[in-house]
Amino acid sequence: MTRVGIMSFAHMHAFAYADCLRGLPDAELTAIWDDEADRGRDSAKQFEVDFIEDQAGFLATGLDAVIITSENVKHRTMVENAANAGLWILCEKPIATTIDDAKAMIAACDAAAVGLGTAFPCRYIPSMMDVKKRIDAGELGDIYACSCTNNGQFPGGWFADPALAGGGATMDHTVHVADALRWLLGQEFTSVYCENGNLLREGIETDDVGSLHLEMSGGTMVSHVASWNRPASFPTWGDVTMEIIGEKGVLAVDAFNQKLDVYSDEAVKAEWAYWGDDCNLGLVADFVDAVANKRPPTVSALDGLRALEVTTAAYESARLHQSVSIDLS
Amino acid sequence: MNIAIIGCGMMGELHATCAVEAGFRVAVCASQPADAAETLAKKFDAEAVAEPMAALQRDDIDAVCIASPTPTHADYVVAAAEAGKHIFCEKPLGRTIEQCDRAIAAAEQHGVKLYVGHVVRYFHEFEAIRAQIDAGKIGKVGFVKTYRGGISPMGAGGWFRDAKQSGGATLDLLIHDLDWLRYAFGDPDRVFSQNLAGKTSLLIDYVLATMRFSSGVIAQSVGTWAHPAGFRVKAEVCGSGGMIQYDSQDAPISAMPRETESGPSMIVPASPVNESPYTREWRDFAKWLNGESEPRVTPDDARWAVRMALAAIDSAESGQPVTLS
Repeated sequence: MTRVGIMSFAHMHAFAYADCLRGLPDAELTAIWDDEADRGRDSAKQFEVDFIEDQAGFLATGLDAVIITSENVKHRTMVENAANAGLWILCEKPIATTIDDAKAMIAACDAAAVGLGTAFPCRYIPSMMDVKKRIDAGELGDIYACSCTNNGQFPGGWFADPALAGGGATMDHTVHVADALRWLLGQEFTSVYCENGNLLREGIETDDVGSLHLEMSGGTMVSHVASWNRPASFPTWGDVTMEIIGEKGVLAVDAFNQKLDVYSDEAVKAEWAYWGDDCNLGLVADFVDAVANKRPPTVSALDGLRALEVTTAAYESARLHQSVSIDLS
Repeated sequence: MNIAIIGCGMMGELHATCAVEAGFRVAVCASQPADAAETLAKKFDAEAVAEPMAALQRDDIDAVCIASPTPTHADYVVAAAEAGKHIFCEKPLGRTIEQCDRAIAAAEQHGVKLYVGHVVRYFHEFEAIRAQIDAGKIGKVGFVKTYRGGISPMGAGGWFRDAKQSGGATLDLLIHDLDWLRYAFGDPDRVFSQNLAGKTSLLIDYVLATMRFSSGVIAQSVGTWAHPAGFRVKAEVCGSGGMIQYDSQDAPISAMPRETESGPSMIVPASPVNESPYTREWRDFAKWLNGESEPRVTPDDARWAVRMALAAIDSAESGQPVTLS
């Protein structure tokens, strides 16, 4: 049985990962630590595990691994502490807010000989896995272009605080697609152009929409919309979509388009009830298996760094109004 | 009022039909080679001629409709202006800014009216989007996404697929959205774009473009001539208090053509309206000629649209944005 703890419930994905751990037969959520004690106590109560207020004490409770779902800027310190305690780590995306932080995290985990994974569950969406199979089998031939979106509702709270999030929608909603494209196409990003800004949600300091254009090492050209442009009245949280233009055909992907249209007088607005498989389960199952077999998680910290390099360059491009080359560090 | 149709392909036929609905009479059809003109002339009980330059100078013609390949537009506009005829020109006005300037100057110099067919301004759904925005339904607009296209068109001799002639999907297809975006959201500051014209072993194009408007609004437009079949238009306008989405696939009639010997046919999902947007623009043109009102599209608007499209093509070439204002 793999004993996993969760560090911080600042990010709402913590709840999904906790549910996954409870659903896996060979894993157990054993403890929760949170720098906001009330939030930690509430989640511990919800998942019927111990809340441990002292971080060092929490890391010494006989855990095998931790999942870190704190505010983005706090990832580094928590990863370093967990690595020093000899624990395997699954870190929420973006892996960090600066390239230096991401590199330091990777170095700390290398030094401690523990695995560090990045939470990119998109690789475990059945439709995405199907697309990967088709591309690998050559069904599309050469991939010429790809037009993508990762739109979402405004998450609020610390997500729009640059001091805690390190960026806005461009940061939050570029990394999933950047990682998925690297994985699907086996190419690295070489340049990015980005226009972004705070154009939709009033009273926040970060950008809430970004329009990106990217080039990849194999010649594929990419556009992407990273946004919090879905209003509260929208029937779901958002989307991940891709239109892939290939030599042999076109593949349109709307990764979460497995839903019912639900019209409930109680909800007033229309809602989409997702019935597809939970991609988080694949991500967490791989992590638990990695811990048990002392192997690196399939989606690595380097994958997290590569996606972060795209967003870092995107913000520089938006500042300069110029296309910026992406140098792999 | 009598008109001459110059260029008798798909657009020539469409404009002839809508012009008649708007009260015009098709007197002459001209195209090179002449067989297309003969077919069209028969349909409208008009005369077919092989020489467009001769057609547009005839005394029995009041206005000309130019629906020939893009690089020929300016020469026909200039010739029609010199002959004192009013002009309805299919978009884009020209292949180059120099051509646009020459066309506009000729119309001004000879005191004829020049209308350019940026028909999206007349589409019911795009007008409905503007009405919802104006009604305050989505608050302040911050981001717009447009999508347009399908199978790559051919045109006589395949001229659409020759980017040197057509400007590719950027100048021929995306220009619809570029014009509408400027119509709805004002002048753009800069444009960045990527495209596939001439970059693959196939005769396809795919355009990805981002515009930044002086108002701060960001728009991303996708234009495709890269699909094996079909035609689709989508638009999404995001505001501080809501969002508007349109998708041409949400239509009252959908059609599934069987594959023909000449390959899949291009079928646009049908969304019938009592008056087609093309007829609406012909009525607008007619009102202008009658001195009743100004049309929705000015020659300067048409020049702006070409400027935006050419800037997008330049950006794709250089890999850097192009500043427009």
